[in-house]
Amino acid sequence: MLRTIKPKNARSKRALEAREPKEVEDARSAIFVRGTHTGEKVNGVMKDLMALKRPNAISFSKKNVVRPFEDASSLDFWAQKNDASMFVVGQSTKKRPDGMIFVRMYDYRVLDMCEVGVESWKAMSEFKTAKATPGHKPLLHFASELFDTHPRFQQLKSILMDFFNGEEIESICLTGLEHIISISLGPTPTALTSAPQPMLTLNPQTPSDDTKNLPIAHIRAYTTKLSPSGTKTPVVSLEPMGPSIDLRLRRHADPDAEVLKQAMKRPKVKKQDVESGLGKKKKNMEVDEMGDLRGRIHVARQDLDKLQTRKMKGLKKGNNDEDEDEDEEPEGGDMVVDEDEGPKESRKKSKKRKQRD
Amino acid sequence: MDVSHILAEHASKQQATVVDKEIPLDIDVGLLTVTDLNPVDVESYEANLEEYLMSTARDGAQALINSLWSLPATHSPDGPIAKLPPPITQLPRSKPLPKPKPLTKWEKFANAKGIQHKKRDRKVWDEEKQEWVNRWGWKGANKDKEQQWLTEVPANADIDFDPRKVARDERKAKMAKNERQHQQNLARAQSEKGASSSSSGHGLQSERKKDIDRTLAVTRASTASMGRFDRSLEGEKKLKGVKRKFDPTEVSSSAEKSNNLAILSKLDREPQLKKAKRASEPTEAPSPKKKGDVLNVRKAVRGATKGAAGAALRREVSSGKGKKGRR
Repeated sequence: MLRTIKPKNARSKRALEAREPKEVEDARSAIFVRGTHTGEKVNGVMKDLMALKRPNAISFSKKNVVRPFEDASSLDFWAQKNDASMFVVGQSTKKRPDGMIFVRMYDYRVLDMCEVGVESWKAMSEFKTAKATPGHKPLLHFASELFDTHPRFQQLKSILMDFFNGEEIESICLTGLEHIISISLGPTPTALTSAPQPMLTLNPQTPSDDTKNLPIAHIRAYTTKLSPSGTKTPVVSLEPMGPSIDLRLRRHADPDAEVLKQAMKRPKVKKQDVESGLGKKKKNMEVDEMGDLRGRIHVARQDLDKLQTRKMKGLKKGNNDEDEDEDEEPEGGDMVVDEDEGPKESRKKSKKRKQRD
Repeated sequence: MDVSHILAEHASKQQATVVDKEIPLDIDVGLLTVTDLNPVDVESYEANLEEYLMSTARDGAQALINSLWSLPATHSPDGPIAKLPPPITQLPRSKPLPKPKPLTKWEKFANAKGIQHKKRDRKVWDEEKQEWVNRWGWKGANKDKEQQWLTEVPANADIDFDPRKVARDERKAKMAKNERQHQQNLARAQSEKGASSSSSGHGLQSERKKDIDRTLAVTRASTASMGRFDRSLEGEKKLKGVKRKFDPTEVSSSAEKSNNLAILSKLDREPQLKKAKRASEPTEAPSPKKKGDVLNVRKAVRGATKGAAGAALRREVSSGKGKKGRR
């Protein structure tokens, strides 16, 4: 554990405050680490991934003895030291050549891990095309039904979404959307289609055997070109930007159920957000096709008895004398002819009168 | 007039932006993500991989762009800015939710009284200088009295009366008071935090500690050798036993007399339970401790005599062969 630091000046205080947990979180910053040995392939892939992740990427270019699946304590330390919540650990061994481990953290502790092996790779620099501006948000595209059904690919999708696009944003400039990252899987093997829910055991041996049957994952990045279509929305055409990476799933570590539950907690929707229409639908308000806000107002039925008409001395209610009351009766609307149809107020009065009589 | 060709042209224009898939694409606009759940077309995948990937990506991009462009947007010099809905996909947080800050004493009071928080402006308008100045701090307005070149002094003031010092002391006293209240608030928040965390356990922390110490002492003496031959851990303290207390040898005669009388009165009556146990021995009933014996005789007798077991048996013993059995 790092010692807790007490800020000595305003600048360090601000820096510490920026690290404190927030209700709406920033994008995850990722640390790129090299293991004991990384080949050219892994180095290149990590460099390209870093180029895509750019402002939120921290590079550790020296070799480190890290084995996240055996001991994750050093990752915890790093995460806290650098305020990072994701790791990409490159490691190439004889048993698992060209491997990369995506590690996701929660509260500076490891939440879940997913190891992938790089099958083939083409660098960003090999594509002689225009590149997207660093720091612009990419569009994400996942293609395969396994992203919805298979737990391994669900995890991969969740991790990659967190890696590329995890930030919750309120608005986006539409002209700033310059590139799309597409993650597609190979054809689904018949073993998975016949048995839609494959057995997922905690035994570390079985998943490694299992991954042989899993389809390959193709990561491609394209720049988008928008051309006017004559309608409101433009037509999109794509151009490969690079990198193109083919990955195969390897080991993984699922999140602890209790920790995941903690991590999935959402902040309560704020009162002012509810008022501005978030959380639940706002009643009686709608924006019409012209973009005008239209509202409907419900007005209760007007009580005509309380309507102020012309003031006359004879109609005054203040005089409660017996004889005058009798005089008033034929004139005022209070007199009840039909008991059922008369308004409530007049009915009460008639009761009183009966008692008096 | 024939408008069919205009309609056809418009339809063809729209055709370019429409994405038609067997399973409609799953779009999460809040995270700019589109998921294509259609199965892979194996033929085109194997024929030309890159082409196939690009075409599916284009369809996804088009669908996403369509939904993005249909969002309510505001104009800006850089282009339209679309307001995104909250994301559908739930991703795990990277840090826990922030804890609410403990309320200060004033905030608690204000809440109870329903006093609204009013933000005080950091700047005040200075009529003389005709500009906004800081309320406090650098060139703060609260230091005006100390820094003015001429100060009015009351007629009855002491000879060593220093109006600047008085103003400064007043200001410093305010600061000290504020700091003291701040510290008190911190201490209050700390104690409340401690109380809330310990309330789930065993009351106060000191009590809990005593409890643990007691348990530890008991366990240390609970081995076969009563802790005598146990390996001691590093930094473990020697167990202190309970000190025996002895009465003083010389006491007043009246105290001695009352003590002795108390002992005599104790000797006079025998404890009931022990006597009952002894009395049950001479009878033929087997002892409850015998192995393989299911019936606990003492309990059974107590049950049969409706709880009056001790007294009943004593009566029996005193009337009959009790004395013989006791020997």
